[in-house]
Amino acid sequence: MNKRRTILILLLFVLFILEGTLLPWLIPEAWETRINPHLVYIAILFFSIYEDRHTGLILGLCFGLLHDVVFYGAMVGTYSFAMGLCGYLIGLLSRSKQTPLPLMLIFVITGSLLFDSIIFGTYSLFGVVHEPYSWAVMHHIIPNVFVQFLFALLIYVPLRKQLEIITKRRSPEEKA
Amino acid sequence: MLKLFKLLGNKRLFILLMGLILFIAIMGFTLGSRAGLSWPEKFVKDTVGFVQYVFYKPTSYVAGLIKDISELHALQEENEELKIALSHYTRDKARFNWIEQEYTRLQNDLHFTEEQKKLYKYDWKIAQVISVNDDPVNQTIVVNLGSREGVKEGMAVHSSKGLVGIVSRVSTLTSTVKLITTMDARDPNSNGIAVTAQGKENSVFGVIESYDKKSGTFLMSRIEDPKPLAKEDLIVSSGVGGVFPRGMIIGKVKEVKVGEFGLTYTATITPAASFTDWKELFIVFPEAESSE
Repeated sequence: MNKRRTILILLLFVLFILEGTLLPWLIPEAWETRINPHLVYIAILFFSIYEDRHTGLILGLCFGLLHDVVFYGAMVGTYSFAMGLCGYLIGLLSRSKQTPLPLMLIFVITGSLLFDSIIFGTYSLFGVVHEPYSWAVMHHIIPNVFVQFLFALLIYVPLRKQLEIITKRRSPEEKA
Repeated sequence: MLKLFKLLGNKRLFILLMGLILFIAIMGFTLGSRAGLSWPEKFVKDTVGFVQYVFYKPTSYVAGLIKDISELHALQEENEELKIALSHYTRDKARFNWIEQEYTRLQNDLHFTEEQKKLYKYDWKIAQVISVNDDPVNQTIVVNLGSREGVKEGMAVHSSKGLVGIVSRVSTLTSTVKLITTMDARDPNSNGIAVTAQGKENSVFGVIESYDKKSGTFLMSRIEDPKPLAKEDLIVSSGVGGVFPRGMIIGKVKEVKVGEFGLTYTATITPAASFTDWKELFIVFPEAESSE
């Protein structure tokens, strides 16, 4: 596999570390228990749209599992399941690799709503949480969408450029 | 029936269904108490924990510095308060020493066993927070003490202000702390904490079983006699039952009202700990266990 891709995946790991260490200090104290942005997940959505939905699936499963094991509170598997499934489904939505910015942002919003809903659904299925879904929507799902939307805007240009270089390099190989 | 088989012949759907079954099995298996983590889990947790530690320490230092500078004007006031607190401390210390000596003497006179003597002695070990997961449903933090230092599942974790959580999973070098904000009376895996009010230890009894996420308060239930309990009383764990340590600060009484069935009373408790801006925490080791 080419070097650029390995570096990108390593950066994804760094992002995962920053999500747990730097991010809690950047969020205002009053919002700290309510905003919980999944930055790695948003980056994975880019992989799944601009590279391949299977990449999105595999990356989602791996990073989700990492999150599950490191922050093992109630159970293992929720994040892994939700990230893998959403990565794949969002990749399925976009057939072309030329997704423009507005469409990509719509995918990000749909993706974050879907992701947080699946996680909340799994937790309520296993009886970890008993609050109604409407509470979750107002409490953390909507605020999360805003932060994740901003993050998607921030990484859109550099990440798309890198991913396009990767896919362009690969496509002549596949044709040959 | 034939259609169903054709549908199953679809490879993608088959994989999806198998994945679903697999994940539900994993979730069901890992939910609740386990004998310990498997080695791949420990390995991942410790490796990632080390990297997180490298990142978290400078970040918290810089963030703390910025906060300190912005709160510089409050310094004099704080200093004044601390001086008063120190004078209280020195006075109480002298009294405490007398009482403690008296207590040990009486214990010896009454022939307490070693086990009984160690019952309420705790060893507070400082632990550095290395990463935070702010998932509102399943809030956890990772600290840098693990089974090598003798941490066990179920130990209480205390900040400088109050009780924050319970150790949920332990690997060799790190352990995950589940915050008490995830407490739920309907969850079979979460245990209630027997509590009492400070200064009224013999007349107040209650159990903290759940945290109300909507209002951000604990619910102290099963209070039989609410008369001695007043607003702003400091609620501490009582250690009744012997599993959970005694004297962990939980919060202040906000309101007392008649409980769900009208037989007992329920109090809402404002948490003492803030559950934000994590730095150092204390893991409370029971003396009887750490000397083993």
